[in-house]
Amino acid sequence: MREKATTLYLGPQHPGITGNMMVRLKVEGDTIVKATTEVGYLHRAFEKLQERRNWLQAFTLLCRFCVPEPDPVEESYARAVELLEGREVPERAKYIRVLMLELARMGAYMLWYGGQNGSLGLYTMGQWSVGDRNYILDLFEELTGGRVYHMYIWPGGVRRDLPEGFADKVLRTMDYFEKRLKDYDDLMFDNTIFQKRTQGIGIVPKEKAVEWGVVGPILRGCGIKSDIRIDDPYEVYDKLDFVVPTHEGGDIWSRALVRREEVRQSIRIIRQVIEKMPSGEIYNKIPNPHKWALPKGDAYARTEAVRGEVGMYIVSDGSTHPRRTHFRGAAYVHAITLLEKVLVGANVADVSAIMNSLGTCPPEIER
Amino acid sequence: MINDKNSQKIVDIIQNWARKHSIWVLGYGTGCGAIEIPPTMTSRYDAERLGVRGAATPRQADVLLITGYLTTKTLKRVIRVYEQMQDPKYVIGFGSCTINGGMYYDSYNTIKVLDKYLPVDVYINGCMPRPEAVLSGFGQLQKRIAEGRADGAKQYKENLEWYRANQKKIIPNWVMPEYNW
Amino acid sequence: MMKELKEHIIRRVKANFTEAEENNDFTYDRLDFTVKKEVVPSLLLFLKEEMGFKHLSHASCVDWLEEGELELVFILWSPKDKIKVFVRTRLDRDNPVMDNMDNIWPQLHTYEREFREMFGVQFTGLEAPDEFILEDWQGPPPFRRDFDTAAYAEKTFWHRPGREDAQDVRETIANRDGEDIPDFAKKYSR
Repeated sequence: MREKATTLYLGPQHPGITGNMMVRLKVEGDTIVKATTEVGYLHRAFEKLQERRNWLQAFTLLCRFCVPEPDPVEESYARAVELLEGREVPERAKYIRVLMLELARMGAYMLWYGGQNGSLGLYTMGQWSVGDRNYILDLFEELTGGRVYHMYIWPGGVRRDLPEGFADKVLRTMDYFEKRLKDYDDLMFDNTIFQKRTQGIGIVPKEKAVEWGVVGPILRGCGIKSDIRIDDPYEVYDKLDFVVPTHEGGDIWSRALVRREEVRQSIRIIRQVIEKMPSGEIYNKIPNPHKWALPKGDAYARTEAVRGEVGMYIVSDGSTHPRRTHFRGAAYVHAITLLEKVLVGANVADVSAIMNSLGTCPPEIER
Repeated sequence: MINDKNSQKIVDIIQNWARKHSIWVLGYGTGCGAIEIPPTMTSRYDAERLGVRGAATPRQADVLLITGYLTTKTLKRVIRVYEQMQDPKYVIGFGSCTINGGMYYDSYNTIKVLDKYLPVDVYINGCMPRPEAVLSGFGQLQKRIAEGRADGAKQYKENLEWYRANQKKIIPNWVMPEYNW
Repeated sequence: MMKELKEHIIRRVKANFTEAEENNDFTYDRLDFTVKKEVVPSLLLFLKEEMGFKHLSHASCVDWLEEGELELVFILWSPKDKIKVFVRTRLDRDNPVMDNMDNIWPQLHTYEREFREMFGVQFTGLEAPDEFILEDWQGPPPFRRDFDTAAYAEKTFWHRPGREDAQDVRETIANRDGEDIPDFAKKYSR
């Protein structure tokens, strides 16, 4: 006899949900037969507000697009503006930007460590990794003045040069994390509960992945090598030596393995950046922001964030205010069309693990 | 005995003392401020030593933490969540955007002043407030509870019509159950 | 090498879509085609199936109020050739109608829902609930440039006075907690 389907509402108030959004699940017994994402709880109309601000004021709104990792958004906006205007960025600023991006990547992965394990009921990991993330936030605080919102990578360069002794502090923090990651492995990847709950769950099919718009660690977890840092290099990533890890399988487990390796690659990149960083200017001064008009045209810049490809599309009509800015978030695709497909056939208990694994970040969906 | 005024005072003091050391926060990240909650709860800042910890459902929670701006769509859910919560209940407005709209002052989809729609006991200002500020906000709430001044829920009950009128101005399509405890 | 590749792609597109206007100056790392709106689905399908532009990186809508037009932009990326292509089309602003294209890329479904809600672009054959991000919205499509968000917010929401210089806020907060305003701050208070 066929079981009667029931509708379950997961969110917006639910401890397992990643942010303020809702998934409507149609379940038969414990199995999901249909999933529908509902978003819009965080719509602040940033892109509308940016039209009312000038090119520099618009930049201050950017870090609120995706809170766990705001720097790639700032970087893509800054680079789009520079692309449109043809503004050169000093070499040292590019290195500092890469340093910021990689530190932000590590910080976001620390949150992911906590979230992914928390979604499976393993709360110790969150206490460790979110606690350790504070060491990265301390570095941000010293450099930019803010723990979460930095507003540091702006058009023309970066806002401030590295303080004295900052490089040593970064290196010491990296030493600490290298030691710490071994503990994480013991707690997370050697844990039978984690293995059993993630292997074969939430599979993204490899042959459909590119067509469905899957990007970033989720695509690499399907065994497809794709990374904007390599494919479409920006800043100074083409001068740095790092590996893009891939794993076959497409399930939560292989995505976790990809991310595990990426934290280590970030540490490697940060060490290289500190070693190779040239001295010199950090900022190519922009004119008075109230009179700063960009030439007519449009530009699109993409950055690799932890969730995958994020990008900023800006259109200028030759005035001091943007005609249109449009942010492309990886979760825009992952959390709606992809999540709805992946959840079909999954178990209700695995929903929040799958959402975490797909890098769901609601504020970048509706902005 | 309870009717005796002085005895009631003693009961209140004991009650408030107990309440202030068990503040369970509803796990509802309504806005971007939710990003500073995990650091506050985990090892470095460890809010649990003050009796602050997460609660999964509105019925078990004491504090509704409004972490930042509220869009009109979320406001509807938040009101419903708040009315489901049982006494004693408190509201903390977290971040500049709950106080005066913050950087969203000209946005068509966010409310600007939270205490027009829900009774706010403590505001924490800043964007983003640091975990220390969050802890200080909780400390302030504890102080107010101990003094018996955190009476937002009572005010909400007494002035329900005024709050409802404000809420219905923002939410045109009002299909919500009435909770009347 | 890159130039040859670009010329090859331009040749192929021009051979199949004669009226496609190309607008390429070879300084940017991208290609740019402007076509009529009827041709967009077939051009996108051609680029995806024949030219290897498998990945839809972004789609956007721009309101050109003064010209009375809405512009749709599709940005595709070829993982094989590592090159971006922009496909543009213009719609009449008073009656923006477009074909539904979510059978080419499933994620276009989300973009189309957003453009319908925010710009009022109608996609014929799009099967989705009317509401996507907004709820009970009664005004015009809010992302159109003639919608004034500041005036709407001023009219709809209650604003706390003293916002211009934040003086009242400081005083209110201080009064509520029974704190004294520190001496240094007193001179800013009313």
